[in-house]
Amino acid sequence: MKNLFLLFSLVIITSAVSAQDVFSCKNTRFSFFSSAPLEDIEAKTDKGVSAINVKTGAIYFKVPIASFQFRKKLMQDHFNQNYLESDKFPFAEFKGKVVENTDLSRNGTYEVTVEGMLNLHGVDKAYREKGTITVKDGNITAGSTFNIRVADHRIDVPSMVVKNVAEVVAVTVNAVYTAVVNR
Amino acid sequence: MKIIAFLLLCTSISVYGQAQQDLSHLFDSTGPAHPKVLYTYKGTRIIMGHSTDMLRKHELDFRVDHRFGDLGGEFGGSKTFYGIDNSTDIRIGLEYGITDRLMAGLGRSKGSGEQRQLIDLLVKYKLVEQTQDGHVPVSVALLGTAVMSAMTSEEDPHKAAWFGDASDRMSYVAQSIVSRKFGDRLAFSLSPTYVHRNRVGYMDMNNMFALGVGGRLKVSKRIGIVAEYFYPFRSQASRDYYKSQGITFYNPLGVGLEIETGGHVFHINFTNSTAIQETQFIPETTTSWLQGQFRWGFNISRRFTLFGKKDWKK
Repeated sequence: MKNLFLLFSLVIITSAVSAQDVFSCKNTRFSFFSSAPLEDIEAKTDKGVSAINVKTGAIYFKVPIASFQFRKKLMQDHFNQNYLESDKFPFAEFKGKVVENTDLSRNGTYEVTVEGMLNLHGVDKAYREKGTITVKDGNITAGSTFNIRVADHRIDVPSMVVKNVAEVVAVTVNAVYTAVVNR
Repeated sequence: MKIIAFLLLCTSISVYGQAQQDLSHLFDSTGPAHPKVLYTYKGTRIIMGHSTDMLRKHELDFRVDHRFGDLGGEFGGSKTFYGIDNSTDIRIGLEYGITDRLMAGLGRSKGSGEQRQLIDLLVKYKLVEQTQDGHVPVSVALLGTAVMSAMTSEEDPHKAAWFGDASDRMSYVAQSIVSRKFGDRLAFSLSPTYVHRNRVGYMDMNNMFALGVGGRLKVSKRIGIVAEYFYPFRSQASRDYYKSQGITFYNPLGVGLEIETGGHVFHINFTNSTAIQETQFIPETTTSWLQGQFRWGFNISRRFTLFGKKDWKK
């Protein structure tokens, strides 16, 4: 009985510790911008989610494709129907980790490299990108801008509209994390 | 006891270990609870009638709908270049998305019935949206149209285009459109419709119910096949009377291709109805597919986005 009690307290302590390691963000902002000869295309969403484990450096992003908002709704229609096929591939997901051995429990601004796998349009591709993580009194913010080549994710741009859609899209991500409690 | 404790400890450690590796489980329920089914049709029309799809807020749709003359039969064939030399009806319209669920439009059409030179005002409201998880099984939209004829009144007071006062020029349509998308290629619609015409010919019906059925099959990302049929509930007495006068009513049937080309949705279709307005093609179609009295037509929709450029930049 004593053992059991000991065990339970141990479990509780472990989960408490792990809770402090993991931070999450439920309204991660994503935006992208592409500049092509005929038109600039811009879209944004704040419906992404993200989590970071400050101990292991594991980092995770997920965003519903259909949540991206365009000023021109017709572009949004084409984005969902023709390019990203959001009913077949409703989410983009990134699983990765911070390469550097950075202690993210301490205050400071860290230029980090994140590497991992991005699943977009049903196609996995490894990425290694720069980002910034700022830690201040238990609050963590992270941001990065990187390029995605549409062809890498089998997003077909028909020759008819090749002047309207850029080959490379600049993606910006921003997350403000809070500690995960009561997991 | 010790063994159980040990096992429990192992389990808790392994669960903890997994949690360290993969953070995705934190968001297993990410995304809206009942995601909506998007893009049941390519545009606001199936062929002749409306679909459940809407213009979005601040979207302006410039539409040109055209129906040519009979391809075959008495008035078709090579002498009219298979109907292309004639046009039975043309509508030019501007429609606008007031909100994502409410659109309004104003159109002018030639008209292809007793009454011509038509001005129409339409309002469509999306009541219900189908969800991907089946929580809401169908999309429902409500349509109201008021049509006024601007033509000079006929001399003969027995005609449907004789106007005693301004209200004689008016006709109305109330319609609900129920559609469901099956998978990502197939969509199907039912459109119970009520047509009211203030002024009709002798033995014609001021009030008429009709049921429309329509569907779309996507054959590629940008091309779909569409079909539409209306069954008007005309009374047998009215049918018989008109038959004795040499006029037979037919049910409008249309088949077509919709092709999306960037900002345009281009529709090529074949219909036996000559008119574009619901107030005319539902009760007044007197041309038959079987007699070569069908025509090709097109609907072109060009959508523009107004306003919000500054707001967007912020």
